[in-house]
Amino acid sequence: MSEAINIGTIDDIDEGEARVIPAEENGTDQDIAVFHAEDGNFYALDDTCTHETASLADGWIEGTEVECPVHSAKFCLKSGTALCMPATIAARTHKVEVSGQDVLLYPAVSVVDA
Amino acid sequence: MSTTEHCPSEANAAIGKMRGPEHGPKNIDVSALVDTEGGLIDRSIYTDPGIYDQEMRRIFARSWLFLAHTSQFKKPGDFFTTFMGQDPVIVTMDKTKTIRAYLNSCRHRGVRLCRADAGATKMFTCTYHGWSFDLAGALKTVPNEKAYPEDFDKKDWSLIEVPRLSEYKGLLFANWDKDAEDLEDTLGDMRYYMDAMLDRDPEGTEVMGGVMKWELEGNWKLAAEQFATDWYHVNMSHASALMVMSPTGKGPKTEIVATPGRQYVSPNGHGAGFPTHPKSRFDAQAVHEHYDYEALRERLGDAAVEGPMTTGHATVFPSFSYLPVNGSIRIWHPKGPNKIEVWAWILVDKSMPDDVKDAQRLYNLRTFGPSGIFEADDGENWSEIQAISDGFITNSVPLNFQMGIGSEKEDGVYPGQTSELYSDAAGRSFYKHWSKLMNTPAWHEHPAPAPAGE
Ligand code: FES
Ligand SMILES: [Fe+2]
Repeated sequence: MSEAINIGTIDDIDEGEARVIPAEENGTDQDIAVFHAEDGNFYALDDTCTHETASLADGWIEGTEVECPVHSAKFCLKSGTALCMPATIAARTHKVEVSGQDVLLYPAVSVVDA
Repeated sequence: MSTTEHCPSEANAAIGKMRGPEHGPKNIDVSALVDTEGGLIDRSIYTDPGIYDQEMRRIFARSWLFLAHTSQFKKPGDFFTTFMGQDPVIVTMDKTKTIRAYLNSCRHRGVRLCRADAGATKMFTCTYHGWSFDLAGALKTVPNEKAYPEDFDKKDWSLIEVPRLSEYKGLLFANWDKDAEDLEDTLGDMRYYMDAMLDRDPEGTEVMGGVMKWELEGNWKLAAEQFATDWYHVNMSHASALMVMSPTGKGPKTEIVATPGRQYVSPNGHGAGFPTHPKSRFDAQAVHEHYDYEALRERLGDAAVEGPMTTGHATVFPSFSYLPVNGSIRIWHPKGPNKIEVWAWILVDKSMPDDVKDAQRLYNLRTFGPSGIFEADDGENWSEIQAISDGFITNSVPLNFQMGIGSEKEDGVYPGQTSELYSDAAGRSFYKHWSKLMNTPAWHEHPAPAPAGE
């Protein structure tokens, strides 16, 4: 189990926005997108859409889903599940915790089996 | 906010071996159809499909055309779709906040790329096979890209960018000719007349609400020419509307029908007419009360406040027109020789309080909205010209543009050449410029045909 990374405070990412933590910083082989969803919670997925190559952090966040800005595939922010075509493969999830004001990312710690 | 003075990306239409047909389309010599000295116009310029096609090539593909108002673009990704002639374009703000325009057609198999009228986006993704372009027009993703040949380079398949985009005080214009004369120079003295609408407020102007769009039977020039030159029709065509607008119980007024005024005649085909009686304006009362006329006289000069800021009309060649007092800016989109699509915006001064803006909006709708009491009169006339124009005999009888021949002069008050308010001078100049462009090869016709005798 990897170490938590403090990626900033809850005010650093507006609701409905996301931030990319690059692979070099998160220690995995993939960029990770941390989303501030419209339910007020924070979630993280691999940033690159499983369909093509777009950044999900650039996508449209609606409720607890993100829509890819390029081909409109949708993913559940909680489980990574691909919700509609053209994506068919789930996005990898990463655990996020809020501790006081701080947002903590646990790279490679899946929330699906947890 | 900035606009592209010169295209940041090279339009890259020529790929591989494709060069298009060897011989371009045949052009019609229009000098026998327009007599601007004698004030005669052959009716076929409003009906002939060959002339219409030539206008697309030699007028619309090389003139500064109105696109939109800068207030429609606030953040990267805001976009608006419109037309330049009959070519569809996307106007958008890129990540550097530069406003750019692209041909709205996918580079793959040509589908209309963006179908929405306006909105905000991160990418423009084609609905057919999913090619996707960013705000700078670059092709970013191609589904199944691995199946394309090795020399397939996404850089060769960017969106076709309109090479010139320029702003004049909030109004965005674009030109397909990368070597075109600058917008400001093309406008010339017309800027003085436009400033009476665009520069009343140090904060500038903005548009309110969406774009009103309606269709008319009629050739686009009928509308453009009328807004350049035709105060003449007002007393007849708009008699009932003028009665409605007159103060209750006061009856018809000589000051209105016999108002003095001037008409600006631009060598580049623009025109603007306006009464010069400072009291002949009939604004929305709230707008009238909002203005500090002393400050405006200071800012714009007495002549501008007593002239072009009043109830005037104007056209910027070829197809952009406006009415300052009514807060109406509009473009006449050509849709074939017989059809116009009117796109109209409501323009207000930015620092007007909300209730004044709303009064201006209602006044605009009441007078020159799609069902405005004046607008309906004008549309009827243009359609009644066009509807009968297919008659063979009808179409061979010339039209009269002789009012005020020889009346243009420098009057020492208004910049450039002006004529009387009741005059066809700006109309003759509009058609003179039109004929010149129609008879001159454009940038895309190369090599230009050699002059006779060489
Ligand atoms: S036509 Fe646009 S992707 Fe095929
Ligand atoms: Fe009119």
